[in-house]
Amino acid sequence: MSAITPTTPVPGLFEIQAHNWKLAILVGLIVSVLSMFALPPEAAFWITGAMAAMVAAAFVVNAYRRHYYGGLLVAPAIAVLFVMNIFPLLWSLGLSFFAYQSNQQTIRFVGLTNYTKVLTDSLKAPENWANLTNTAMFVVLTVTAQMIVGFLLALMFAKQFPLRKYLLILVLTPMMLSVVAAGVFFSYYYDPTFGLLSYFIRLFTGEQFILMDNKAGAVAGIVFADAWMWSPFVMLLVLAGLVSVPKYLYEAAAIDRVSGWRRFWSITFPYIRGLLMLALLFRTIEAFKMADLVILLTKGGNGTMTISYHLIRIANEQNKTSEGAAISYVMLFIVIVLTNLYLYIANRRTEGA
Amino acid sequence: MSEGLKYALRLNGISKSYDTVRALAGLSFDVIEGRFFALFGPSSVGKTTALRTITGLVKPDSGRVEINGNDVTDAPITGRGVSMVFQSFALYPHLTVYENFAYPLREEKIGREEIDKRVKETATMLKLSHRLERKPNTLSGGEQQRVALGRSLIRRPKILLLDEPLTNLDAKLRHDMRAELKRLHRQFGMTIVYATPDELEALSMGEEIAVMRDGAVVQRGTPDELYENPVDMYVAGKIGSPHMNMIKAKTGSDKTVFETSLGKIISKAKIKSAESGEAAMLGIRPSDIRFAAQGEVGIKSTIQMLEPLGDVTVVSVDTGSETLRMVVPESAATMIKPGQATSIYLDHKKFHIFRASSGQVMT
Repeated sequence: MSAITPTTPVPGLFEIQAHNWKLAILVGLIVSVLSMFALPPEAAFWITGAMAAMVAAAFVVNAYRRHYYGGLLVAPAIAVLFVMNIFPLLWSLGLSFFAYQSNQQTIRFVGLTNYTKVLTDSLKAPENWANLTNTAMFVVLTVTAQMIVGFLLALMFAKQFPLRKYLLILVLTPMMLSVVAAGVFFSYYYDPTFGLLSYFIRLFTGEQFILMDNKAGAVAGIVFADAWMWSPFVMLLVLAGLVSVPKYLYEAAAIDRVSGWRRFWSITFPYIRGLLMLALLFRTIEAFKMADLVILLTKGGNGTMTISYHLIRIANEQNKTSEGAAISYVMLFIVIVLTNLYLYIANRRTEGA
Repeated sequence: MSEGLKYALRLNGISKSYDTVRALAGLSFDVIEGRFFALFGPSSVGKTTALRTITGLVKPDSGRVEINGNDVTDAPITGRGVSMVFQSFALYPHLTVYENFAYPLREEKIGREEIDKRVKETATMLKLSHRLERKPNTLSGGEQQRVALGRSLIRRPKILLLDEPLTNLDAKLRHDMRAELKRLHRQFGMTIVYATPDELEALSMGEEIAVMRDGAVVQRGTPDELYENPVDMYVAGKIGSPHMNMIKAKTGSDKTVFETSLGKIISKAKIKSAESGEAAMLGIRPSDIRFAAQGEVGIKSTIQMLEPLGDVTVVSVDTGSETLRMVVPESAATMIKPGQATSIYLDHKKFHIFRASSGQVMT
């Protein structure tokens, strides 16, 4: 961006100017700290807020006077990002080192106790590990199912056939539905008394079919619903890769008398590899956070409790805020390790190939 | 064609339309085994579609394709023994040069060592040995071109189709590659069908040329035949550089004398098919016009422009009613300059006479 224009010299620290943000920070800090000591908490809260607004205004005026419009334009987005994402993230990291419950007034620093409790406590750790194992199982099953179905759908839609456009829209709709709506659909499908699934099975066996009465059935029900929703996402990405392969390469391969299998691996696959990796990454992270379908379909029963749903219970329903924060940071750590592993493998492949 | 010659390729009445666009309209030609055959015509005349029909990538709407005497119109691409170099090269971007070469051999029952041997042979022949481990997009245009060529040659195809292979190269490389292609043709003796919009390429490389127009062959023959006896104004205008001069004329009553703004021009033979008074176009090549010698009766004209080409110079002259282009030796061109008055001599025997209405040659 443009440099400082000659008409707006950098003000000295104590020069009173609307764009002197250093002075604004200094004054803001002093006033806020003083008000915290001197005034009742309600008043201090608003005064600190006003000081923050003043500093922000000084930054805006400074940016405006220096023609730093680019920064000015992204500032709202960054502010929202900070308030909504970065601040809560850091705040919860802080909370994980304290003993704090959202329904109680007391707060006490306990260091890493929350983490050791979550990971090693003889009562809590086994439950957490079991839920983490369940989550891993869901990650493997749902992602595999989505990748396979999405990939096959993409292969199908890469070709031209009648009604392709309309079918494509139809196939994409699950992805656009609210998870709650999809969950309700499937809870009706799976319902033992009036569900479609039970109805069809009753035609053969004459008996009601309770899909959710064992772990395999419950897991299958959830995996199927999740795959139904998110396979189209994988398909979209793979389809983008498939249509980007230049047609003349296939023609050259046809003239070179290359078989379909070799043609796929040496021509098509390099074009979709990166996108497949991306789909895998997105879907793994999402699957790791799965709670919604579990809540809607099984309420975590029959061994379908995931770590995310467990976390919601601990933090929101049992008000164990600090413990919840510790669990979520362990989860975050696992996800970061996993995704970096993916990226590492993907990058090494690209360089090696 | 004379007896005893085998046709490698025979196209008979091929038509092909894409939606409303007619790409080929009754295209027919045949190629004798081992010939270097040039398919010549401006872009979008159907050359590429013709080649793609031969490979089988395009199924013609009507007409037959014969390869080595077998009708392959409905046969699959595999087994035609035809290889093609695409205008875009169509190299496999994710494979090394080595793998690009080896690719067409992978599906055949050929051992690894044999493949390796043939790849190295081909690379040596095309001077690409030091590039085998590189990916195509790291190579220069000329190298990519040679990789594309090598990939086609490595299978030792009976018929090699080249679709404007030199269009994407610079002038110097084009010149080198022309010689290279001729050399490869002599070395391997395969039949080559070479599509090009470039007159110079067609004339310098093609042992036989088919001139295409609107999806059909207008005239075919050796370069000399096309140059000496163009069948219509289209071919006359395409073959030969600079282009043939065209003069409007009216047929005289005895069908040998033609009235033009340059005076009467007498044809070398009686034009029987012409009607007296019929409009005609007289074509004369720039090389058949010269400055009138001392004592010769020439056409008075003014020199307009000189275009030196090295050993010869193209001179545009204004006769008052027509602007004609002529080719004079460099030595003669040094003595003249634009604006100067001169007198030119047209060799009446060298005139090509076309019917003005159809553009066909009149005999």
